[in-house]
Amino acid sequence: MGFLLQFARGPLFRLCFIIMLLGLARILFLDFWGAQKVYRRAGDKKMPWRLIASRTFEWVFPVKRVFRNRQVYSFFSILFHIGLIIVPVFLFAHISLWKSSVGISWPALPYWWAFWLTAATIVFATLMLVERLVVKSIHSLSRGQDYLWLLLLLLPFVTGFVCANLNISAGVYQFLMLVHVLSGDLIFFMTPFTKIAHCVLAPFSQVIDALAWKFPPKTDEDICATLSKKGAPV
Amino acid sequence: MRTTVVTDEERKKALASTKKPEVVERQKLNVRYHVEDCDVNDRPRRFLEVFAAILKHSNYKMVLDHFIRMTGRCSRCAVACHIYQATDDPKDIPCYRSGLLLDVYRRHFTMGGLLKGRISGGGYLTDEKIQEVAESFWNCTACRRCALECPLGLDHGLITHLGRYILSEIGIVPRALAVSVRAQLEGPFHNTSAVPVPALKDTLEFLEDDMFEEKSVEIKFPTDVEGSDYVFFAPVSDYLMEADSLMGIAAVFAATGDSWTIGTGYFDAINYGLFYNDRILERVIKNVDQETRRLKGKHVLIGECGHASRVAKNFMPTYCGGEDSVPVINILEYTYKVWKEGRLNLNPDVITEKIAYHDPCNFARNRWIVNQPREVLRSFCKNYVEMTPAGEDNICCGGGGGAVSMDELRPYRTTIGGKLKAEQIRKSGCEILVAPCANCKKQLRELVEDQGLDCRVVGFHDLVYKAIKFDDSLLVRKEEEVTAGQNNGLSDPRDSSEGKEK
Repeated sequence: MGFLLQFARGPLFRLCFIIMLLGLARILFLDFWGAQKVYRRAGDKKMPWRLIASRTFEWVFPVKRVFRNRQVYSFFSILFHIGLIIVPVFLFAHISLWKSSVGISWPALPYWWAFWLTAATIVFATLMLVERLVVKSIHSLSRGQDYLWLLLLLLPFVTGFVCANLNISAGVYQFLMLVHVLSGDLIFFMTPFTKIAHCVLAPFSQVIDALAWKFPPKTDEDICATLSKKGAPV
Repeated sequence: MRTTVVTDEERKKALASTKKPEVVERQKLNVRYHVEDCDVNDRPRRFLEVFAAILKHSNYKMVLDHFIRMTGRCSRCAVACHIYQATDDPKDIPCYRSGLLLDVYRRHFTMGGLLKGRISGGGYLTDEKIQEVAESFWNCTACRRCALECPLGLDHGLITHLGRYILSEIGIVPRALAVSVRAQLEGPFHNTSAVPVPALKDTLEFLEDDMFEEKSVEIKFPTDVEGSDYVFFAPVSDYLMEADSLMGIAAVFAATGDSWTIGTGYFDAINYGLFYNDRILERVIKNVDQETRRLKGKHVLIGECGHASRVAKNFMPTYCGGEDSVPVINILEYTYKVWKEGRLNLNPDVITEKIAYHDPCNFARNRWIVNQPREVLRSFCKNYVEMTPAGEDNICCGGGGGAVSMDELRPYRTTIGGKLKAEQIRKSGCEILVAPCANCKKQLRELVEDQGLDCRVVGFHDLVYKAIKFDDSLLVRKEEEVTAGQNNGLSDPRDSSEGKEK
């Protein structure tokens, strides 16, 4: 168990983390590459930057628009996302690991902040899961991965919370810690290949949307030639 | 979560198909809108061929790749969709609808999808799937309100646009739109309503006489004047149904003295390409450009029409010369500009009814024309009320995306499509609803009728026409004639205090 844990938080973690970084860099690069290609082909290159900036801001810092509809769900979702980012990055134990392995560190969350934020993340993730199960519109849209992702994201939070705050035997601790680290590794590994890629792509959606309406100037001629419809009646 | 209640009876009536079973059998397509007969063989292969061709020659691939990498399926868009709010059918949730096309793209045009398909041996596009796409993508009114609600920024309106584009290339397109476009691009009169030029000129002459009678001012509809500041394109249906809007526009030009003209070579602003096909969009907009250049006009001026204005504004640069294309302005922008400059005087005592303004989606969704008409209306309508939500968050009239042109969909449009809007109008208590868009006007009038609302739907310039005050120098009637006119029940044209109902 000890060896497995060492492996999971050592080489496996490094591998998964690098895969995540490279994977996210890849999809970002593909997004930008596609965007510049579209921009070069577009007949109209004037972009509505003010609108793009304003709408991007509305979602990256969700304080206004997000609460116009489905206020309860929005509240859960925002706090869940905050916890999801803040807790793993600013947890004292995680920072210690970084310091011991690569020698870098940064200020950590005070214990009680970490405690309540973790608990809140668990509660809100559970509520989101319940909502996905019971609210007709969300339930009908949900795919397997939408449930699995919530469960997978809950796993390191629950195990980490138990290990850090409850009195448990060494064996159980080791087992839960192994689950904690392995689930974290799996999350990192899967991120670039699944919907969680929105963590880097979503801020660019408004630019992509605006660009998507910038058509190339010779649609008619080119499509007709390819589909052999030249001169065909409407 | 739903905000609209459509009764079972209404739903049943709205969703009933009026098509004969033999037509459904012949066309192998069970959709509510009418479709012309077309090749029904090997549809999935043809669908994919068209999809591939479009991806090759357009910019859609980039956005599809972006969307498939991160769709979250949170269903926030369901709250914003007036169709889902009315039907409560998960298949009407915008994210579900977009998913239909994104699934096809993922399965047939991405490495992962192809690989997965090979391994599982399934997931192929079928006739049934095309049937579902054909039904679903025309249930949507393409108002793009859902795009505002998506935390991940998915523009479902764009996906609807692309889906319809592919369908149209394999022959699945509402007959009403296809027939109109055919008349516009291949017919002898080059407009969607097949209005001949002599009939147009007669109408304009008649309206000029009418305006002279009512306002005692020589208000003209200049035609084919070269070198004008503005070449005017109205939705051609306005010449048949919206005389007051046209007279209001002409009156504004008479008051300002700016030069404008209507080209008789091409005068229809309608561009149904926006609703279903980029090739059509390109061809139609090029006609607008050619006519403007023929007349050496300095600006393209689009009348009261949401989709036509958006198409001209956004796609003239795309298809007609980029930065060198002729600048486009909508008539509301023009009227606002001259009002702001103090060149347009409106009598605040004429309109006493409770007025509300409806934002056409194509004006407001991207915050293009939102406050300008409101400022003008508030200046002369004493009893102006606001509907909520408004502006970029406005609720679609229910006839957007070409739906209003399909008469067979009227029960659908005025219950499922329009019930939320009807409730909003009723709540506002307005007596006159201003809708500066030909499609919205038609839809809202039918909605008012079918939902039993107690209000009138008019264009923005209908009210401007009633309230406009002309400079004394423009009045051509003698004082005695005015007095005589008043004795005969006609009002003093200088204060237009009782604009005649048309």
